[in-house]
Parts: sequence; C-alpha cells; structure tokens
Amino acid sequence: MIMDAPATYLPRRGMLPIVIVIALLSLIASIFLGVVDLPVADVLAVFSGKGSPEAQSIILDIRLPRIVTGILAGIQFGIAGLLLQTITRNPLADPSLMGVSQGATLTVTLFLLFTVYIFNPGENTVAELPIAWLPVAGLAGGMIAGGIIYLLAFRLELSPLRITLCGVAIGAVLHALAVGLIAGWGSARSEIILEWLSGSLYARTWDHALFLLPFAPAGLLGLPVIYRPVVMLQFDAQVARSFGLAYRRQFSVVLLVSCALAASAVGAVGPIVFVGLVVPHLARFLAGRHFPLVLPLTVVLGAIFVTLGDLIGRLAGQAEEVPIGVVTAIVGVPVLLVLLRKIP
Amino acid sequence: MPLSCSQLSVFYGRRKALSGFGLAMQKGEIRTLIGPNGSGKSTALQALAGLIAPAEGKVTIEDVSVATMSRRAIAKKLAFLPQQPSAPDEMTIAQLVRQGRFAHVGLFRSYDRRDEEAIEWALESTGLSSLADRTLQELSGGERQRAWISAALAQEAGILLLDEPTSFLDIGYQVEVLDLVHRLSRERGVTIIMAIHDINQAIAVSDRISLLEKGELRFDGEPRALAESGLIERTFRVKGRFVQVSPDAPPHFDVELKRLSH
Repeated sequence: MIMDAPATYLPRRGMLPIVIVIALLSLIASIFLGVVDLPVADVLAVFSGKGSPEAQSIILDIRLPRIVTGILAGIQFGIAGLLLQTITRNPLADPSLMGVSQGATLTVTLFLLFTVYIFNPGENTVAELPIAWLPVAGLAGGMIAGGIIYLLAFRLELSPLRITLCGVAIGAVLHALAVGLIAGWGSARSEIILEWLSGSLYARTWDHALFLLPFAPAGLLGLPVIYRPVVMLQFDAQVARSFGLAYRRQFSVVLLVSCALAASAVGAVGPIVFVGLVVPHLARFLAGRHFPLVLPLTVVLGAIFVTLGDLIGRLAGQAEEVPIGVVTAIVGVPVLLVLLRKIP
Repeated sequence: MPLSCSQLSVFYGRRKALSGFGLAMQKGEIRTLIGPNGSGKSTALQALAGLIAPAEGKVTIEDVSVATMSRRAIAKKLAFLPQQPSAPDEMTIAQLVRQGRFAHVGLFRSYDRRDEEAIEWALESTGLSSLADRTLQELSGGERQRAWISAALAQEAGILLLDEPTSFLDIGYQVEVLDLVHRLSRERGVTIIMAIHDINQAIAVSDRISLLEKGELRFDGEPRALAESGLIERTFRVKGRFVQVSPDAPPHFDVELKRLSH
C-alpha cells in the first residue's frame, strides 16, 4: 500500500539508503564478475579508456547492456506489480499471472511463426530471424491482453477480485494457444522461444536497453501524476468516487501504465516471473507503516532483484548460464512464502 | 437550494429500486430516510450522490444538475459515506482522513494549512485526535465508523449523506454520531441526509423524514406528522403505538414484540 504521509510521520530514513547501497554493490559485482574471468585491473582499465579490445568488448558490449536492460526491466516489473496489486486490491496480482506475459508470449510465438515463412531461413539458423523485433511483438501482445482485461472489466463491471481472476483466465487461454503453436514447430524457432520464455538476459544488447529506455523513465516520471489516484484506487469505487476521484478514468490510466511497463519489459527480456509479485511485497514489508517509502523501495528492489538474479544465473551455470527467470522463480518463491507469513 | 431531486427512478436490471422519488433540502436541514430493508434508501442516497445514474429524473446541487458535474466538483459540495466502506487494513486514521481532502488538493497541489486545519477539525469533531496514528485494523467497529465519518467531514462539503452511520455501533456511539450530526447541522449549517433503521432516533434527530417502501416514497414531512399518520405500523408490518414520554420530548414509538400478519 502506498500513501500520502501526514507531516508527523518520520520515514524510516535508514532503509532506502541501505537498499540503494545494496543496489550499487550488486551493480558493481555484476560488472566485475562474469563467465569470463577478467582481472579487476582490466575492468578498471576499460572505464579509463585503456582496456584491451577483448575486455572492452566483454564489458561494454556484453555485460553493461544486459545489466542496464535488466535494471530497467526490474524497475518496470516492480512498479507494474505494485500498481496492479494496488488497483485490483489483490496481493497476488502480477503481470506474469494476469495475462500480460501470456499475451506477449502468444504474439512473440505468432511473430516467429510468420517470419519463418517470410524470411525462409535455413535449418537451425537462428541468426537469420529478425529477433530484434521480438520486444515490439511482445509489447503489442501484452498491451492487447491488457486491453482485453480492461474491456471485460468495464463491460461486465467486474469487482477487483474478478478482474484478477479474469486476467488469470485470459492468461491461461493465451498461454495454451502459444504452447499449442510451439508444439508443432521445428527446432530453430523453439530454441528462440524457449530461451525467451524462460525470461533471459542472455545476449541482450544496447538495442534492448534502448527499447526499454522510453518506458522505465516515463513510468518513473509518471508516478507523481498517478500517485494520489493510486492511493484512492485502494478504496471501493463508491468511496473513491465520493472523495472526488474520476474512478474509471484513473483506473484506466493506472492499468495502462502498468500494462505498458510490464509488456515492454516482457518483450525485451521475456516473462521474468515473480519479480512483479515479490518486489512490492518486500518493499511494503521493509517500509512498514511508512508508506511513502514503498514506491522508491519497489523501484530500487526491482533493479536489485533482476541484477542479482542475473548475476547468480551467470555464475551458477558458467558457460551454460541459468536464465534469470529460473533464478527469480527459485529465489522468489521462498521470499514470498516468508513474507506472506509475516503479513496478517 | 443545496440539494433537491425530483421524479428519480432507478433500475437494477429489470427491478425498479426507486420510483418517482423526490425531495428538496433546505440549508442545514437534517432529513432521515427510513423504510424496511430493500425499500430503496441506499439507492436513493447513491443517486443523490451522483453515484448511480437514474433512469428518470434528476438531482441538482445548488441548481446545477449532478449529471453535468465532475466527481471532484461534486465532492467539494457533497460528501457521501456508504454502508460499511472498506480500506486497506494498514491505513492509519490520519491517512484515511487525509484522503477526504482529495477534492480540494487534486492530483498535484500540496496540502496547505487550510487542509491541515480541516483534517485536524475532522479528527477533533469525531474524538479521534489521540488515535490518529492507529491503523484501521487496530480499531473497534465504532472507532472505524467514526474514522470514516471523520474522512467525510474533512471534505468540508455543505451536504453530507450518510448511509446507516449508526449500524454496528453500541448505543453510546450511536448517540455520539447523532449528536455530531445535530451539531454539524446547527453550528455549521451542513445539510444532512441519512438512512437509519432506528425509528425513534430518526424522529428525535430529524427536521424531516422520508419514508420509503418498495422504492416508493410513502411519506415526506415532519416527524410528528409521521407519528400521527399510522404509516410506521403499516409499512414495517409491526404493532405498536406512539407514546409521549414527556411534554417536550419527541413522540416515542413503542413496538410490541409480535409481527403483524396480513
């Protein structure tokens, strides 16, 4: 939950700096550690512009873009989850559970299905497929799924709980369609789709970071605008409207923002599960009653969760790295269980 | 006229929940809506608050049709407290009451002294100043109800609509709420409409009473006239009589614990 704090409230000032320091440490660790053992001196040399071409390439073309992409995606998943949980008044709402990820999966699948006929690549030639367009396809699918949920929610005047269930149901249908398509495929596409499906930062380039660049900052800048409506949307529609909120308009805006953030992130890195679910809970837990901290904590924790998850995946698997989606799921579930025990 | 409506009809699907309902409020007037369960009291309040669009008729606030006003414009003039509203458990009283200022501060303006004063006054009026930092889940039913009333007060609207504000309160808090309503009306000129179940409380506190049955207005007038009309027994299908406890007291309905058969 997030709130305007009365002036008498002293925020838990210590929490945010601590989390920011952890974020910086994980960022630094991610730059210095990796599958290729680069000596610290070599990494430092890259930043002073005197690195060897090899180190230069590893740091600037491989590690940094995937770290930046991961941070942006993590922030977006975190905010999207927080917004969805707030407006549906459901602690289990999450873009990866509510159709957005599945919509993206389906369009990415369809995209690969058609491009194979158009581009007609040879057997197993992943490289010839226009995978640079995957994020765009994913974004479109996620937004369409969000749009369907939105239309159903308002056409049928659904309660928040039903909106959540409706999202889960739509997600299941879209996912089934995607899996049905994949089942009939050859290996080239399957490889791409499987890697994408597991939620991965592998081989993410500056193009991916650039793709996300409009979304994460726009989302962050937009937060002050939707802040008070989001607080209001925690009430029943009747109460919020009585307080003076244009409920339907503000609900739509917040749903749109969270879908755009989630769908673009899913498009770029695949459905990294549990980040959108766990991060807001962790932020709320750390913030306690100091609601104004929930939002900034969500942003920083989202970045940490994905950066560290990716680092663990890279180090644990060595050459065959473990996709971050797998790491976040494995780490996220116990964290969630512990938090749920603490929440009354 | 602060608030009026005429020929209001509301449908839920095919069922007519309210039909041809009308009233006209004077500034500072207290009116109660009474009637059996399902008689349309809540529907009437929600329609008056502009929360449901009537199929026929219209509601006007200071001669402006509610249908043409934005939610914020309405909220500055009219505060509505529904039955059993819900809020996140971790929200504190102070935070809830702060939300009452939304109509005034909007999306961007920061809270100024005027807002803080309104919040303080709302907390004081409901006797919650010392509990302001408690979360809603730590409160008793009565305190929670008062917190919501406080939030509605912070809105500083000239019209206050309360849907069963005394339900689930013990008699002490019921009297406290009714006293508060009376003070608001007489000292601040707040125009108040509320739905309540207790007929004697309605008679004691109201300037006028509207009696609803099956969505239709059966009576609109002063409490004493209602007591003399015999409508209470008929509408609620109970046996009883109005007694005069003391010369200046309002008539008191004394009910027999036996249902009228028809």
